[in-house]
Amino acid sequence: MAQRWIWILWPGFVLAIPAVGIAFTLLDPEELHALGAPLAMSRLGAYSLGFLFFWALGAACSALTCLLQRSPFEVNRCPLPAAGRPEGCPKREELGCG
Amino acid sequence: MTDLGLEASLYEVRRKIYPRAVSGAFARWRWGLVFATQAVFYGTAWLEWNGRQAVLFDLAARKFYIFGIVLWPQDFIYLTVLLVVSALSLFLFTAIAGRLWCGYACPQTVYTEIFMWIERKIEGDRPARQKLDASAAGARKIALKAAKHGAWIALSLWTGFTFVGYFTPIHQLVHSVAALSVGPWEGFWIGFYSFATYGNAGWMREQVCKYMCPYARFQSAMFDTDTLIITYDAARGEPRGGRARGVDAKAKGLGDCVDCNICVQVCPTGIDIRQGLQYECIGCAACIDGCDQVMKKMSYAPGLIRYSTQNALANGWGARQILRRVVRPRVLVYSAILGAIVLAAVAALWLRSPIKMDVIRDRGGLAREVDDAHIENVYQLRIMNTDERAHRFTFAVEGSSHLAHVELLADTPEHFLEIGPVSARTVSVRVRAVPHDAEGSQPIEFELKTVDGEGPAVTLHEKSRFLIP
Repeated sequence: MAQRWIWILWPGFVLAIPAVGIAFTLLDPEELHALGAPLAMSRLGAYSLGFLFFWALGAACSALTCLLQRSPFEVNRCPLPAAGRPEGCPKREELGCG
Repeated sequence: MTDLGLEASLYEVRRKIYPRAVSGAFARWRWGLVFATQAVFYGTAWLEWNGRQAVLFDLAARKFYIFGIVLWPQDFIYLTVLLVVSALSLFLFTAIAGRLWCGYACPQTVYTEIFMWIERKIEGDRPARQKLDASAAGARKIALKAAKHGAWIALSLWTGFTFVGYFTPIHQLVHSVAALSVGPWEGFWIGFYSFATYGNAGWMREQVCKYMCPYARFQSAMFDTDTLIITYDAARGEPRGGRARGVDAKAKGLGDCVDCNICVQVCPTGIDIRQGLQYECIGCAACIDGCDQVMKKMSYAPGLIRYSTQNALANGWGARQILRRVVRPRVLVYSAILGAIVLAAVAALWLRSPIKMDVIRDRGGLAREVDDAHIENVYQLRIMNTDERAHRFTFAVEGSSHLAHVELLADTPEHFLEIGPVSARTVSVRVRAVPHDAEGSQPIEFELKTVDGEGPAVTLHEKSRFLIP
């Protein structure tokens, strides 16, 4: 599980560095407008939030990859141990599931 | 296999690695590089140049100062080139001598080395640490752990502070830290970088190299059979086995490996180099130092584990033949590309004009008729002085042959302008001309000239268009 967190957070972090670098080289936050009003924050604040935004975007992308690359086998697996499944569950008798 | 079993095999459970301390030639090299890189990192931030911080990436002012050079956002290309040069250097070093970067200079290695040194000073070497971790919680264990983490956190905070000191003037930062009035984002980034240092060097360690580092995954693409790698000489070492000192190993049918497991114990990534080259090997050569000590004790020749190449190992080559193979197409191609880019970048930086001018056509009125004959266009001239001294300028304009009586009208008297060190000014100018047998858009050219009276004059030309309605 810890490795899955790495797969989700780390690539986004690495990509956020050039992304924020390129974005704010081309754009000066002091000249930016959001919803018609100038940004009410320091440049440092805008860079920092920009970085966190790109990081979140990258992490979301990696999370989606993680979600989609799971095999049907992993998706179908019941999280409950066999004994803890509700009565009548067809998988209740199955051994080794969960 | 049950699916639970499969899950367990997909996600290897990390067992904690307790690297044993090692001394020797390569450990000395690594410590030399630890000192060198960290003297640069912790020290450079405090250097002064021209009465300002020598290296400062002043994000708030959008200017990067690197000793005598001042880079503006327009100069982003130089940072891109720097990244390309770093990547190509990495490729070149990797092709010649494998993972030198990982073993000696990577911040992950360097900080892990420093953190392990602190750990060893407080908790003791490998057996003592293993014993401490296995023991029940008690006053001594808590005190030792608290001391270790306290020292780690203190070093991490200093590292985070230094890092932020490259982006916010460090002398101001030290005062605001002392007065507990650090800006929210500075505070956030000091905390973030400290936490990353503490987490990566204290806790994550080899897992960063094994699970997070992209370079570890693709470095083998730069390898060939003449690349220096850390190798175990299986022909000499096998069959391995323990023996008493002075026993004739040959008579017992044994190779030189005494199977003492020192090479495994000193390995920061916990692998056994005797199983051959593995992607987890960061090329730190700790196993070489460890093995050579054992070989010395046994009165065997050193180098059972050594830097060598696949070709050298297969053909029994010595250092001279290995060196001869350094000159090969892969290395030459990497060197040629790297050399060309470095030369071009240095030349571009050298020839870079300290003055820049952008001509922006006024967005409002495109052109207007002043009287029967004259047409007027409005422009914004944004003039940037990247020099660290003030400059005085004059500016003028020239038109194509289809424009007559071209004149420049500006609010600055005599078209004379002074711009302070490392700053920019925007002036609004009107260009008036009499079109001659033409309509539409005609080329014009602005000229900017320094008139300082000292030093060589710099002249800039910037093209634009003059619109005739």
